[in-house]
Amino acid sequence: MHLSREAIVEGLQRIVGPADVITDRRILVESSVDNFRKLQNIFDVHTMPVPAAIVMARSTEQVAAILRFAGEHTINVIPRTGGTATEGGLESAVPDSIIIDGSAMNRIVDIDAYDMQATCQCGVPLQALEDRVRELGLTTGHSPQSKPVAHMGGLVATRSIGQFSTLYGGIEDMVVGLEAVFPGGIVTRIKNVPRRAAGPDIRHVVIGNEGALCFITEVTVKLFPYFPENNVFLGYTLKDMKTGFEVLRAVMVNGYKPSVARVYDPGDAGLHFSHFAADDDCVLLFMAEGPAGIAKATADGIAAIVAGFAECTRVDSAYIETWFNDLCWGPDKITAEDERIRQTLNVNRTTEISADWSSINDIYQAARARIIAEIPDITMMGGHSSHSYINGTNMYFNYFFNVVGVGPEEETAKYYLPIIGIICEETLKRGGSIVHHHGMGKARAPWVRDEYGSSYYILETLKHAFDPEGIMNKGTIFPL
Amino acid sequence: MRFAALLDGTVATAAVQAQALAGFLGDGLRGDLAGETFVLYCDERDRERLVDLAPTRDVRLVKTAARRPERMVDCLTAAARGGDTALFLAAAGATGTEIVTRLACRAGGGVLTDALTIEARPQRLVCRKNVYSNHLVGRFELRARPWCVTVDACWNDTRRSPSPSHTILSESDESGDAGRPGATTDTRATGATGAAPFADAELLEAPSSGDLAKSRFLVVAGYGAASREGTERIADAARRMGADFGVSRPVAMNAWAPMDRLMGVSGTRAAPALCIVAGASGAPALYWGIEKAGLIVAVNPDERAPIVANSDAALLDDAVAVLEELAEIVAGRRTHE
Amino acid sequence: MSAVRVLVCFKVTPDFEALREADWAAAATQGVQTRYVRRVLNCFDESALELALGLSDAAARLGVTVELGALSIGGREVDPYLKTLVALGYERAARVAAGADGDIADTDAAGVGVGAAAGAAGVDGAGLDRAASGLDFAPAVVASIIASYVLRADHSDLLVLGCRSGPGDGGTVPFRVAEALGWPCLTRVTSIEPLGDGRLRVGAMVDDGLLRVTLRPPCVLAVGNALVSHLRAPTLKDRLERRERRIDVLAAADLGLDIAAELRREACVPTALETIDRRRRGAVIAGATPRDKARTLFDSYLSDLIETL
Repeated sequence: MHLSREAIVEGLQRIVGPADVITDRRILVESSVDNFRKLQNIFDVHTMPVPAAIVMARSTEQVAAILRFAGEHTINVIPRTGGTATEGGLESAVPDSIIIDGSAMNRIVDIDAYDMQATCQCGVPLQALEDRVRELGLTTGHSPQSKPVAHMGGLVATRSIGQFSTLYGGIEDMVVGLEAVFPGGIVTRIKNVPRRAAGPDIRHVVIGNEGALCFITEVTVKLFPYFPENNVFLGYTLKDMKTGFEVLRAVMVNGYKPSVARVYDPGDAGLHFSHFAADDDCVLLFMAEGPAGIAKATADGIAAIVAGFAECTRVDSAYIETWFNDLCWGPDKITAEDERIRQTLNVNRTTEISADWSSINDIYQAARARIIAEIPDITMMGGHSSHSYINGTNMYFNYFFNVVGVGPEEETAKYYLPIIGIICEETLKRGGSIVHHHGMGKARAPWVRDEYGSSYYILETLKHAFDPEGIMNKGTIFPL
Repeated sequence: MRFAALLDGTVATAAVQAQALAGFLGDGLRGDLAGETFVLYCDERDRERLVDLAPTRDVRLVKTAARRPERMVDCLTAAARGGDTALFLAAAGATGTEIVTRLACRAGGGVLTDALTIEARPQRLVCRKNVYSNHLVGRFELRARPWCVTVDACWNDTRRSPSPSHTILSESDESGDAGRPGATTDTRATGATGAAPFADAELLEAPSSGDLAKSRFLVVAGYGAASREGTERIADAARRMGADFGVSRPVAMNAWAPMDRLMGVSGTRAAPALCIVAGASGAPALYWGIEKAGLIVAVNPDERAPIVANSDAALLDDAVAVLEELAEIVAGRRTHE
Repeated sequence: MSAVRVLVCFKVTPDFEALREADWAAAATQGVQTRYVRRVLNCFDESALELALGLSDAAARLGVTVELGALSIGGREVDPYLKTLVALGYERAARVAAGADGDIADTDAAGVGVGAAAGAAGVDGAGLDRAASGLDFAPAVVASIIASYVLRADHSDLLVLGCRSGPGDGGTVPFRVAEALGWPCLTRVTSIEPLGDGRLRVGAMVDDGLLRVTLRPPCVLAVGNALVSHLRAPTLKDRLERRERRIDVLAAADLGLDIAAELRREACVPTALETIDRRRRGAVIAGATPRDKARTLFDSYLSDLIETL
């Protein structure tokens, strides 16, 4: 039964009260997009369908009631907490959607330094949790660039990964248990145990679901000891990206777990390191952390490995440490970047993929060459690898282009989606994954079947099972 | 040692300049110095008022064309070449900077702008001024005389009275184009004909920042306003409380508010009795604009923002929400009075 | 119609905002350590560079040629910016390597690195960063270099640069250069437009408003808070097409200057740094909601004070 916008609002007000149902037109319009189409907000141009309302949920029961209501009336629901998504996951793809905002559920429920677990509601900013546990000499180990502004619910929903993942893992390695609400208002709680083999690991139905299956209301994550005084930084310059990948591989396959291991190509290095790197230099950098003995052994081991590559020239570690201290995206940096885009029409975009060691350099070279040849108005085309595993790594393509001859609302069609297409093609043809950590969102949903092949059956069946009415975040993961 | 203060009466800021100079001469300058004020004017009707503003008893009146700082430089250069004057002082601002810099170049002296304090010693002038975007104070020495200095805008807020009585030591007229007494035949800065380098000068929009500098109750919005709409809501809340409204640089540069609302190093400095900094981190460049406020209240969700430690009271919450609540309380209180 | 020959001067500085409270607190005794932070364009110079490009675009529409040149003082850290400017259409791009005796990124070099001029000024170097060009607090020398470059090498007739730059923030260089060249100078410029006959319409903030004037080069325009504050980005194609263009690196001696001697003659000399303690009580006001906090704020701090305002 299709409801009018007014009826949707009234229905929501009956559940949470009028104060928690936001219908301010300007806020709704701005909320119709996320960072994928942020140019719309920067230039005040709006093409996406406008949500019917944003409803602030303050409890699991309210989330359940809202999902029941949405199910009864087949209303599209978009779960949201920190709002930092980059792939269109938060876009309202159909008219009159409801955004369920969990950012008011911001209580840290428990921090247990003996069992090394912290439990918090979905709306807790990661930075807030991290600051609290630091007071106890602990860390979550999770540090995506969005840390100052992202919330726990969204970080789990997108299978996020942080800067120190090579040591601590991605969010999937950190989640212990959780609570999630499914369509129909079904509340499920997965208990906190270190490991079990009682059937498939159902946490993985929830982690990374991007709001297409359920709404995450509470999360428990592991805690780790924090030894910042033992951090060791290493930095090198070299001329060849292929060698850079080889070095990363050597470090990983020899059993080292630095918290940070990255190689930047010259274009991307130029954005960060031009004060010590030449414009044709790649930059290789590592950080080792943990208990003193381990941090030192890791750093020494890595230094010895890199010393075996004659092409690598060491730089003063202080450059790396200084750069690292200024890496996260506070609100002031975001504002400054928006202003730069507004004035120059020069847009920065990223696309991150993963592949095994034998394919990664080919993917990087092929995609980069094609983009430069086929896409107009490119001002920088580069990238870096920042998350390595024993069996491969990611490639984080970082690129800038001028928006020429079209309005800001056409930027995705003229530039961004074609570039994503090239990267996805070159990655898929070599057996890699088209998305390493930002989530499929709506941007890469068109490639979902290519990404999964025959295993798409498993993913698709989950969707039919948990969301038979198709109310959960239409267009995300599963294209419209 | 003798000094010469400069009061540019050809612009609307004369009273502020006079305050700054009076304050600085009283409390910012150490050393055994006596001096006079050069008072520039272009309109006869302003003479008396300007003389009354002068921070020293002794005054030299100079009639000049408006917006011709190079005329003043000529006049002062002649005075400098006389050799008696060790120190030339001007108030902060574009005109002051131009005059002292050109004067120092011509007279072979040293220049320092935006001095916080200075101390005259026999062979050198020891000065302090803000450096590194107001993260630090730097100490400098001017070694060659004459010492040519502008006074930091923080002295604009002093409440010093001008000199109670004045003696006009001399009068000159530099407003004509030819044969000006004291002028050099130097064609520098005036072009070969001595004509004004700038034609068709139009003065637009006397900025409302003049109000901001004198504000008693000021609300400053920062990037935490999050949008033009948020900025407007804070501005509206300020208005309802009877407060003036300023913004930080990111807000102005995003065109969420006009540039003349800009507070801080690149904008205006004020010393209100009450200043609420809403949604700005309080970086030194902004903070300088309000650091003399009587009471500073910070509204910022981030307790690590520098403004929190540098305020008297802090509310760790969203700027727009808090300001709107506060406006209701204040406005409600006012209607009940 | 004759061309306008523009020279834009810019400064590449450490990103002071990337330093932390602890770094500033240590500065009075240990100096400002900026060797390891990234470099950025001084914001007013960035406006100047973009305004000059805008002037060139507007002039082209009127059929007037604008020849753009760029100049900086420093070491190799300046080169990426010069290459970008060349790619954007600046025909002349140069740096004067005065005081920057080598590459900033000397690996594992201790102390403050390059800047032999550090001792030349006869200054107690404690607290002063000489890791950059050594000319941070030497505006007379900077002006001398710029003026010499204009007179001996560049022969431009419109000089555009930022009205001030860190760390000194003195704002005197534009006027010093104007004195050396015998040109008028307008500061806090916010807009520059061509009038088609070689004259320019320039907007500038003055102490009592916004001034609009018409002027004819030669002159110095010192850029302030222009709304145009970011430099456009050249495409990879632009860079490729223009990559053969030369970037000139000059030594001070090429301009007939002896930097060490000039530094010794500096009339204004830095001697020390002081930290600033701005801390106040910082009392956090408790409350569950914005309304509660606002109420507590009002009751505890404002109710009497507001009546007097």
